[in-house]
Amino acid sequence: MTTAGDTLRTGGAGRSIDPRRRTFWFLSLPAAAALLAFLILPLLFMVALSFRPDLSGQFLAPFSPTLEHYEKVAATGSYWNLLFLSTLIAFGVAAAATLAAYPLAYFLAFRAGRRAGLYLILLLVPFWTSYLLRVMAWRLMLDNSGVVNSVLDALGLIDEPLDLLYNRFAVVVTLIYVWIPFAMLPMLAAMGRIDARLHEAAADLYATPWQQLRRVTIPLSLPGVVAAFFMVFIPTVGEYVTPLLVGGAQGSMYGNIVQAFFIQAANWPLGSALSVIMLGVTLALVFVGLRVVQPRRLLAQ
Amino acid sequence: MQPRPMTLPRAAVLVCATALVAACAGSGPSAAPTAGPTTGGPGPATAAPTAEATEIPPEQVTGSLTILEWPGYEVEDFYPDFATKYTNVSLSFEFGASDAEQYGHMKAGSQADVFHPYTGWLQFYVDEGLAAEIDTSKLKNWDKVPDAFKAIGQIDGKQYFVPWDWGFSSILYRTDKIPNVDSWAVLLDPAYDGHLSMWDDGPAAVTVSSYIHGYDETAITAEQLEAIKAEWTAQAPLNHTYWVAPSDLETGMNAGDIWAGYAWQGSFAVTKSAGTPVAYANPKEGRNSWVGLYGIRRDTPNYDLALRFLDEKLGLLTGQNLVNLYYYGSANQDVMNGLSDPAQADAYGGAEAQALLRDTFGLDDPTILQNTNFTPNLTAEQRDAWTAMWTEVKAAQ
Repeated sequence: MTTAGDTLRTGGAGRSIDPRRRTFWFLSLPAAAALLAFLILPLLFMVALSFRPDLSGQFLAPFSPTLEHYEKVAATGSYWNLLFLSTLIAFGVAAAATLAAYPLAYFLAFRAGRRAGLYLILLLVPFWTSYLLRVMAWRLMLDNSGVVNSVLDALGLIDEPLDLLYNRFAVVVTLIYVWIPFAMLPMLAAMGRIDARLHEAAADLYATPWQQLRRVTIPLSLPGVVAAFFMVFIPTVGEYVTPLLVGGAQGSMYGNIVQAFFIQAANWPLGSALSVIMLGVTLALVFVGLRVVQPRRLLAQ
Repeated sequence: MQPRPMTLPRAAVLVCATALVAACAGSGPSAAPTAGPTTGGPGPATAAPTAEATEIPPEQVTGSLTILEWPGYEVEDFYPDFATKYTNVSLSFEFGASDAEQYGHMKAGSQADVFHPYTGWLQFYVDEGLAAEIDTSKLKNWDKVPDAFKAIGQIDGKQYFVPWDWGFSSILYRTDKIPNVDSWAVLLDPAYDGHLSMWDDGPAAVTVSSYIHGYDETAITAEQLEAIKAEWTAQAPLNHTYWVAPSDLETGMNAGDIWAGYAWQGSFAVTKSAGTPVAYANPKEGRNSWVGLYGIRRDTPNYDLALRFLDEKLGLLTGQNLVNLYYYGSANQDVMNGLSDPAQADAYGGAEAQALLRDTFGLDDPTILQNTNFTPNLTAEQRDAWTAMWTEVKAAQ
């Protein structure tokens, strides 16, 4: 943010704003309008809905606000347990996906050379298919008569099929798989900015490859790592499609509870209250996380 | 208890795809270039009410109609009678993948002329002033509908809904794994740990418990609801999975992973015709039955055209398609009677297919409907409390 002193000029005919500044505002107008219309307003609508007693009456009519939905959530211990569990799952998925994607990003940034673009496209090709189909594919992998169990059985390693599908394990595995390419992108961007001469300098100073990685590459790519982690963590807390498809009776996440009040019951106010709470908790965790990690300071080092 | 009326293999994808875009609340792909209702066409013949008794022939009727439907119901198989007669009317579809979602669409001001709720949800539409009374005198096929079905579409003594599709909920089981199922209690039996499958639905769970314990479904007390919650919390680990789309259940049943599950009659037909040794139980507490109905939005400018559409929906060919292709019962009695008439076997895909359908609907058992519990209408409080109970069951795992 700049202060008014930077931008205001005492121009001639009442033109007081820097034209470049004006262009900037003009150019960002569509994006700002889209954000307002599709993010800010729906969010405000959701918050307003969470204080509404019920859905009866006109949608935009005034209503007397109530805290009953928040009280109901506060009084239901199992919802909080599930929120905690979902946060834990999101943390694990984000950590695993980031960790798994790091070597991929490293390879593309430093080893793939001219073919990097091709490899990148190849990595992203599966993601042109529907998210749902990819999740359904994991059913074929993890099912009792699925690929994994069939292979283990053929190798004589198991007599009874392992219960791989329809539990939290299946949810975690599927989510990690789904997120790996996305987690790779911010790290790839961060590594792309590392000056290749730093590696040469490190080599000149007799740094072993391991030392180069530890002292040069990792510290300089950390902001990308942090970005990747939170890019996975934030949406995963509220995930509901994957647990719905591969979680079964014992793999629900917090998002499924929210979904139930919108899709199975038409209790949007309670669903909204649950969403607002999740949003608050997620934002608080991200805030604390960023305070602890301080990516800006990492970059300065 | 309102089933998602889909037995198509792609139902799972459809349910979830729609769930994904549910938040957008946008209209789905429209089957016609003119989306959204219009106040009659510009042509001389429109669906606008006329004082004269002279009926405009179907082919001269123009205009467009928007239908809020379940994903998959937009295909012409579900309205061949209308499509062949009203060639100058364009239909467009909006979608909701659950009753709650459709209700949400309507509450949020959907401009659909016709909507398709299931038993358990009818009262809300009337209470919120969303449904128009049906002028049954204009429905030529109305006398094909049994009185019991007509009564289901009446609220406060007025006909607000036209019954169209119906079916059972009961227990589908593998006869090679479980010799005989005579009670809903099998769904809670620890003896079948890991091989059960309940529908992922709170009201359905309340219904099953009510049948087992003899609770009055329309007057569940707080203590009873606590007991039901405890019961299903203990049941959850016994499931192979909850099913979301019928194909989840059918796949698990065919593979031998699921031995007994809450099921609609379509799943029986699908698994039976796949050669799986299955039976569809007649539990001593009685099966459940549900009915899908069409309503007309109260403020629609296309009321007469909507009536014509619903009339054709009750047509013979439409009903036979519903039975033959999707294993759903039709509200047109002629369609169901035809299943027991050997002379009409060809209309149902041959004698063998006809027999399977008769079996599916339990038509060879004259007492079946007397022992069947029809889904009652719920209040908003009941619906919310039952779904909240179910979320707590899931959250406790």
